[in-house]
Amino acid sequence: MISVLNVTKHFDEVHALSEVDLDIATGEFITIVGPSGCGKSTLLRIIAGLINSTEGSVNKPDTSMGAFVFQDAALLPWRNVQRNAELLMELEDGFSKQERVSRVSSALQQVGLEGFEKSYPHQLSGGMKMRLSLARALVLRPDYLLLDEPLSAVDELTRELLQEEIHSLWKKEKFTAILVTHNVTEAVYLSNRVVVMSPRPGQIIHVVDVPFKKRNQELRSSSKFTEIVSEISVKLRT
Amino acid sequence: MKIKKILPPILVLVIFLIVWSIAASLYGMPFLLPNPLEVLQAFVSDFELIIGGLWITFQEALYGYLLAISIGITSAAIMSQSKILERSFYPYAILLQTLPAVAVAPLIVLWFGFDMLSVVIISLIISLFPIINNTLLGLKSTSTNLVELFQMHNSSRFVNFFKLRLPAAIPHIIAGLRISAGLSVIGAIVGEFIIGSGSMGGGLGVMVIYAQGDLETALVMALILTATLLGFVFFMSVTTLGHQLLKHWHESEIT
Repeated sequence: MISVLNVTKHFDEVHALSEVDLDIATGEFITIVGPSGCGKSTLLRIIAGLINSTEGSVNKPDTSMGAFVFQDAALLPWRNVQRNAELLMELEDGFSKQERVSRVSSALQQVGLEGFEKSYPHQLSGGMKMRLSLARALVLRPDYLLLDEPLSAVDELTRELLQEEIHSLWKKEKFTAILVTHNVTEAVYLSNRVVVMSPRPGQIIHVVDVPFKKRNQELRSSSKFTEIVSEISVKLRT
Repeated sequence: MKIKKILPPILVLVIFLIVWSIAASLYGMPFLLPNPLEVLQAFVSDFELIIGGLWITFQEALYGYLLAISIGITSAAIMSQSKILERSFYPYAILLQTLPAVAVAPLIVLWFGFDMLSVVIISLIISLFPIINNTLLGLKSTSTNLVELFQMHNSSRFVNFFKLRLPAAIPHIIAGLRISAGLSVIGAIVGEFIIGSGSMGGGLGVMVIYAQGDLETALVMALILTATLLGFVFFMSVTTLGHQLLKHWHESEIT
C-alpha cells in the first residue's frame, strides 16, 4: 500500500497542495483528475519521490520499485528503441546483459514494438513513442507505475487503443497504477477509483468508485459508464 | 550530391569572378587590384612557398583549436556541475570573449616568446569562448523530464553526466566547434602578424606581411585565399563529425 499522509506543498508563494490524504491499495488502478494547475502532477512527483512535500509524508514499502511515465514519452533521442528500453536497467544496477536482452524483447513484444528495435525515436509515431515509454518502465517489473498524462499528446483513436493496452498491461502485470489526467473518460475507463481535486490549492474533494469488472469498447457507450463520467465532470466543475 | 544543390553557389562564384575581372581591368593597376587569373598564377608559381606557410599555420591553428576544445569542454563540464563555480567563473569566460585578443597578442608574445607557442595560445584565446558558451548551454538545457527520469532511478552524478547531459549537449557542442573552427585560423594569422617580423619562413600570416611589403598583391590574395580554405576545411571536418554523431537523432541532421 502507498499512503499519502497530510501532504502540503508550497512553491515559494504558490500554495500547490493542501493537506492531501490518500491510501492506494496494492494492485489498484487509481486516477487523479482535476483542473489545470490543481497540483495533480505535483502530487504524483511527491509520490515518486522526485520532489519533497512541504509538510506531510508518503509511505511506500521499502523494497518497492517504481517507474514513471512522462507526458512527452521522455525518450533519449540518440538511442534506438532497443537501447531506450534498456535504459532503466542500466541505471538500476543488478541486471545481467542476458536478463536485459530477454526483458527488453518481451516488453517490446507486449507493447507491439517488436521489429522496431533498431529504429530511432524520431522515426516513431506519437503512439509508438508512448508504447516505448511504457515498455521502458515495464522492463523493471515495477510494483507501482506513475503515469503523468501519458496520452494527452496522441490523437483520439490512438488514445483509446492505448487505454486498452494500458488496461491489459495492468491486468497482466498487476502493478499498482496511479494516473494523472484531465480526461474524465480515460479516468473512468481505466480506474478502480477516481480522485477529484479542487483548483489550487489542490485538495481531494471527491473519491468516486468505479465498479466495472470488464473494460472493453462496449463499456464506453454503456449508460452506467456515461453516467459516472458525467457525475465526475459535474464534480470537476463545481 | 545533387546538381541542384551545388549549382547555385558555383553560379555565385562565377558571377563574382567575372565582376572582379571586369573591375580589375577597368582599374588597370594589377599591383593594387590583380585579376583572378593573376592570383591563380601567383598561387601556382609560389605553390611550394604557400604550402610551406600553410603547413605552419595549419599546425598552429590545429593545436590552438584542439586546446580550445579540450579546455572549453572541460571547463564547461565543471561549471555545469556546480552553480557556485558557474557563478564564479562564467563572468570571466564572457570577458574572454570581449577581450581584444589582437591587443593582448603582443603581451602573449612578450611572455611566451617569438615562436609557435605564442601563436597557438593566441589562437586558443580567440577560439575558446564559443566552445565554453555553447557547451555550457547544451549541458544545462537537458529536458526536465529526462532529468527526473534519471533522478527517479537514483543515477549518480557521473552516470547522469555521461549518459544524459553530455549526449544531449552534442548538438550545442558541435555548434560551438563550428564557430570556433574559423576563429582558430583567424587567431593563428593574428598571432603570426604579431610575431611576424621576428622570423622568416613563417606561416601564411607572416608571408602576407612580407608579400604586402613587396607590393605582391596577387600573392597576398593567394595567401588570404589559402587561409580561408584552411578555415573552411576545419569547419567542414567538424560539420562532418557532427553529421556522423547526430544523423540518427537530431532535427538538424535528419533528412
